[in-house]
This record gives sequence, C-alpha cells and structure tokens, in this order.
Amino acid sequence: MLRILALTSLSVAIAGSTALADEFDWRKYEGAEITWAYDIHPYADAVVAHLDEFEEMTGIKVTPELYPDDTYWGKLNIQLSTGSPDWDIVGTGIQPAWDVTPAGQLAPLKGLLADPSMTNPDYDYDDFFPALTRAWTWDIAEEEIIDTADGEVWGIPHAFENMQLMYRTDILDRLGVEVPNTLPGLTEACKAIRAADPNITPMAVRGVRFWSSIHTAPISIAQSYGFSDFVTTGDGIDTALDTPESIRFHRDYVDMIQNCAPDSWANDNWYQVVDGLSTGKTAMAVDANMFGFWNNIEGASDASGKIAFAPPPTSPDNPEYASNIWIWSLAINNASENKGAAWYFIQWATSKEMNIRGATAGKLVNPSRSSAWQAQEWIDYANQPEFNNFYDTFNAVQEKTRLLFTPRYGFGTAMNAWAVAMQDMVGGADIEERLSELSEEIREELN
Amino acid sequence: MAVRKNPRKKKTTLFLWVSLLPAILILGGFILLFVWGFYQSLTDLRFGRARVDFEGLRNYDYLFGRSRFWDSIRATAVYAFTAVAFEAAIGLALAKLFNSGVVLARWFRPAILLPLVLPPLSVALMWTTMMNPETGVLNYFLSFVGIEGFTWTSKANSAMFAVVFIDVWTFTPFFALIVFAGLRGISPEIIEGARINGAKAWGIFWRIELPMILPYILLAALFRLIDSLNQFDIIFGTTQGGPGNATDVLSVSAYFTAFQNLYFGRGAAMMVVNWLMVLISAIFVVRLWQYARNRVS
Repeated sequence: MLRILALTSLSVAIAGSTALADEFDWRKYEGAEITWAYDIHPYADAVVAHLDEFEEMTGIKVTPELYPDDTYWGKLNIQLSTGSPDWDIVGTGIQPAWDVTPAGQLAPLKGLLADPSMTNPDYDYDDFFPALTRAWTWDIAEEEIIDTADGEVWGIPHAFENMQLMYRTDILDRLGVEVPNTLPGLTEACKAIRAADPNITPMAVRGVRFWSSIHTAPISIAQSYGFSDFVTTGDGIDTALDTPESIRFHRDYVDMIQNCAPDSWANDNWYQVVDGLSTGKTAMAVDANMFGFWNNIEGASDASGKIAFAPPPTSPDNPEYASNIWIWSLAINNASENKGAAWYFIQWATSKEMNIRGATAGKLVNPSRSSAWQAQEWIDYANQPEFNNFYDTFNAVQEKTRLLFTPRYGFGTAMNAWAVAMQDMVGGADIEERLSELSEEIREELN
Repeated sequence: MAVRKNPRKKKTTLFLWVSLLPAILILGGFILLFVWGFYQSLTDLRFGRARVDFEGLRNYDYLFGRSRFWDSIRATAVYAFTAVAFEAAIGLALAKLFNSGVVLARWFRPAILLPLVLPPLSVALMWTTMMNPETGVLNYFLSFVGIEGFTWTSKANSAMFAVVFIDVWTFTPFFALIVFAGLRGISPEIIEGARINGAKAWGIFWRIELPMILPYILLAALFRLIDSLNQFDIIFGTTQGGPGNATDVLSVSAYFTAFQNLYFGRGAAMMVVNWLMVLISAIFVVRLWQYARNRVS
C-alpha cells in the first residue's frame, strides 16, 4: 500500500513538474540577439555543438566569441571594467569574479533563480555539487567579498576541474615505481625514476609566475601541512605563508621540484604539463584531472588508456588530502542589455540534459551536476577501460574537494607574488627569508 | 594708406591649416592619451572598484620605496643597452659584409631580413620552444661542442642572456640595413683616394667609413633603444619577467601590476617612469647623433 502511495505521489510530482516545465515560456525572448564569450576549450565545444537547438527552441540568436586562453582573460577584464554591453554572457571562474563583483560588473543571479517565470522548474539548481554552488555564493561590500552561504549567486557552474596526481601506468610499471602518496614520497619516486631512466622527466607541475601555478599542486598539498593562503585573525585576515607549517611545506615542495621537475619548470604552464604526460616524456603530474581524462580518450593521443589517477600527495604525517577546484562557469555581464535572454542561455547550457550530453561526448568533464555522475550513461562512459580508475578516483577525491583559496578582492596580487617567490626559492633563495619577504609584501597590501 | 590684403595668400593659409588639421588632431589625440595616462598614475584606480581618488604622487612614492621597482629599472636598462650594443656591433659587421661585394653575401641579404617581418610574439614562442632545456634544438646543437643542459630562459642566471639573445637575433637586421645604406652613401672616390694614398683596409674603415656612418649607427641605435626600453612581447612571450624577477622589465612589471594585480594607477606610474627612461636615453642619443653629424659635415 505504502509503495502504491509513494509511486502515486511520485507520479503526481513528476506530472506536476512536467506540466510546470511545459508551461515555461522558452520563447519569451524570441528575436533577441546575444553574445556569449568563452575560452577556446572543450567546454565551449560542448555548447557550440547544440547551439542551433537552443536557437530553434527560444528564437534567441547567439553569437559565440571564443578566444585563446591567454587573450581571453585580458579581454574579459577590459570588457567588464569598461562597462561594455557587447558581451552578454561570459565564461569565467570564481577567482577572477572576486575581483570584478565588488564594482558590480557581474549581474546577480539569485533573484532569477528564485523567479518561476524566469527559471524552468526542471532546472534544479540544488543538483549542482554543493561545493561548486557554495563557492559561487558571496555578498559584496566596497572592495570586499563577504563569504556567506546565504549570499548572492554570481555564476553558474558549467564544468570543473579538481586537482589530482596523474601518472603514466606504462612508465611506472616498466620502472617498478610505486605511486607515491606523500610529498617526500613523491620526491623519492622521482629519484628512482631518474636513476632508472634519465630520459624520463619524473614529474611535471606548473611553474609560471602566475597564481595558476599555486592553484594546482601547492594550495592542495599545503592543506595537509596545516596551512592555507590566509588565516583569520581577530579583526581580519593575515597571510599564513611565513608560519612554521608553511616553511616546512615549502622545504619539501622546493625539494620535490628540484628533484622531479624539468629544467623548464619556471616556464611551464598547463600546456607543457599535459604535453609531457601525453607524449610519455613525463611520468607523473599534479594538475586538473580532466587533462588525464581527455588524453585517455581512444585515439586522442598516444597516452590513451595509459594515464591513471590518484589523490594529491600529502604531508608525511597527515594522510588527509585535499583538492582545489577550478570551476568554469557562466555569468551575465551586468552591462548587458539582454539579461533575460542571457539567463535563458545560461540555464539551457547548464541544464541537466546539456551537462550529461557534454560529458558523454567526452567534452564537459568533469560535469558539474551530481545527477550526471549518477546517470548510467555517464557511469558507463567514464568506466570504459581506457579511462582506468578515473571514475572511482573522482568520487573519492570529490569528497575532499573544495575551493581552497580565501575569497577576497585583490586575490591575484598575493597569489601572483607567491608564484614569483616559489620561482626564487626553487632557484636557490633561502626559503625562510623569502617567505618572510613575501609575507611582508602581502601584509603591506592587506593594510 | 590702407593695406590691401592679398586674397590669394589668405586662401593659401587657410588651405594649409585645413591640410594640417588631421595631423594636428591625431597629434592632439596622442598627447591627450598621454596626459590621461599620466593623470591615472596620480590616482588609486583599480579595476573592479568603482571609486577613484586622486592621490598625487603616492604611486610614485610607493614604487621608489620598493627594491623590486629598482630591480625592474635595472633589468630594463641591462636588457635595452646590452641588446642595442650587440645589435650595433653585429649589424655593422653584416653591413660591411653586404657592402663587400662578396657574391654569397649578396644572395643572403634578403634572407637576413626575415626576422624583422615576424611578429615579436611569434618570435618569442619559436625561441621558447627551441630554448627548452630538455627538448629544444639549441641544446641539441650545443651538445656537439660539449655543452649539456644550458638552462636558457628557465633559470635566473641565464634568462636575461636568453631574452637579449632573442632581441639581437630579431633586430640586428634592422641595424644592418640602416648601416648598409650609410656605407652605400660614401662616395667611392673618397675610398679610392685613400687607397691611392696608401691607406690599409682597417685604416679606411676606422678613419673614413666609421666616422661617416656613425650618424647612421646612432640613428638606428635611437630607434632600437626606444623599442628595447619598451620591449614587452619578447619577454612576456618567453619568461613573463621570470624566473623570480630576473627579467621583470618595467613594461612587463607594469602589465602584471595593472592587468593581473588590478592596480591600474600604479601600473600607469610605472609606464610614466618607463617613458622617462626612454626620453632621457633618446635625448642623449640624439645629442650624440647631432655631434657625429656635425663632425662629418
């Protein structure tokens, strides 16, 4: 009886929801023309592939403007800060958004999400991973980010990266090296690889003097050493980079780079890191997990089926690992004159259907909705033999994944300075002295 | 007696002003932009913040009190002056070779101009690949002479050398071209006369050719110095100012300050200082050029 009741109420609920969804007026902005700006990226390909369907369903004409990564961020800054209405929807991440929201350059989305006339009842915002939606939620004051769970919503997660250790199974098997799980263990593994085959670069991580070098390995591994970028004090925040925990981490990390990374480390961005892994020049890398996934796709590279995954390494005395995230998201330019149509585009591009279609096309990885990870289509696809342990490792690491940077306006200044200091330390600068100098620089900016 | 105005002269003057107007407007536009940039250097303008306050010389005071800023000044000067000195020396040697009538040199003359037509950012990316310490072709060639694992742009102690090397490769042809034009302008009778009077080749070069082409060398140096002191593409495309701050010249540092760290006012102040460096250096070279030209004439 209970089962019948439950089934009946479920049917009513579904029927109700479908009825509501049917009532949702997708053609409300028919005739509008909007511009969507994004990086040239597989995530953009996933949307472009079905853009005509959106245009047909809504009558809204979308012009995609896609730029190479290096160009995109500069253009985005200029478009938003000059108040240009040319771009209606922008692809962005949380860290850059911290710098533009206090001046009102992104449109708030909470009201749109709560408005049944603007948001399709099937949209299900709660279906996104909570770590992602929480990271996009904050309030603003002048030059300040107020990190609160009840705050305003500034962007919708499109797809995301979490940081993992990726390794070439063929190389480690051939050389008889175990997958390391601590930072000093990683250094020892590198020494063993170098000794066994000097032609192999044991390990690659980003080293460029930009905060993106910090957001992969350092900030993830730092957590298990007991520190992060900032620490909360009585009346604000202070840098944690000159604490004993930080000094200990940097000694181990610098030692790892010196023993593991290629000589080109200081110039290496994600392109070089991924290239090393896919060509088999490099045995291991700590970076965004989807790079390993994409290279594992059958026929994508010589590395297909040879890249496996593990959590980021930790401190030797604390096995609790952590993983940072980068969330490619869609947001509305506050200067846009077509906010309604822009929102329609966002809810379509980040819908359950688009999430799973993009993922099973091998593009939108990692999909941002938990329903995608539970969908049989995606489970079957992601568990194909060539992806090795991608699916299981994701599920394990995702539990320890969150945004590890402290939300703040002016985020880039301190983190860029950290990346420059890292280059100095790897180049031979005294670690304690350089961290002290770095911390003074950051404190000066905080005051 | 009333003076009659010449209507034709008035018409000509009006025509001249109308003709000059576009040039005046463009010049005015440039000056306005510069003045606007200078004004911004006196404010606390930050991207992402709505309010902008006038702060006087505070940005300059901040910069002058930072050792990193002085390191950037030093890096800018080392980069520009070293590159221009090498370009002058090698450009002069190439120009002499082209002027020598050697058949092979005549054939190669168009080929050496190739780097000049390449976009500097493409040049930077090409050299970054070739300078990769592990996979780059340069270290492969160096291994034949027993040099292994030269770090090029990857280590602080070799990065400045590497970026100057790229600048020299790219812009030496410009020097060679200008100096070659100077050499072609020397009357063959003067050289012939010196030869008849028993002057040796080195003597002819040192006492006749070099003084006569010195204004050309200084003119090329002026253009190159202005460009090298402002150089952005080559450095940003290879080291981005690193490793550490080893190649953090003012233009790159200003870019990071303004567009990455969002301190636009402070970045503008750095560019004003960069402009002053260019201005002082240019005035110095122009004075030298005037002196050299007066000596020749």
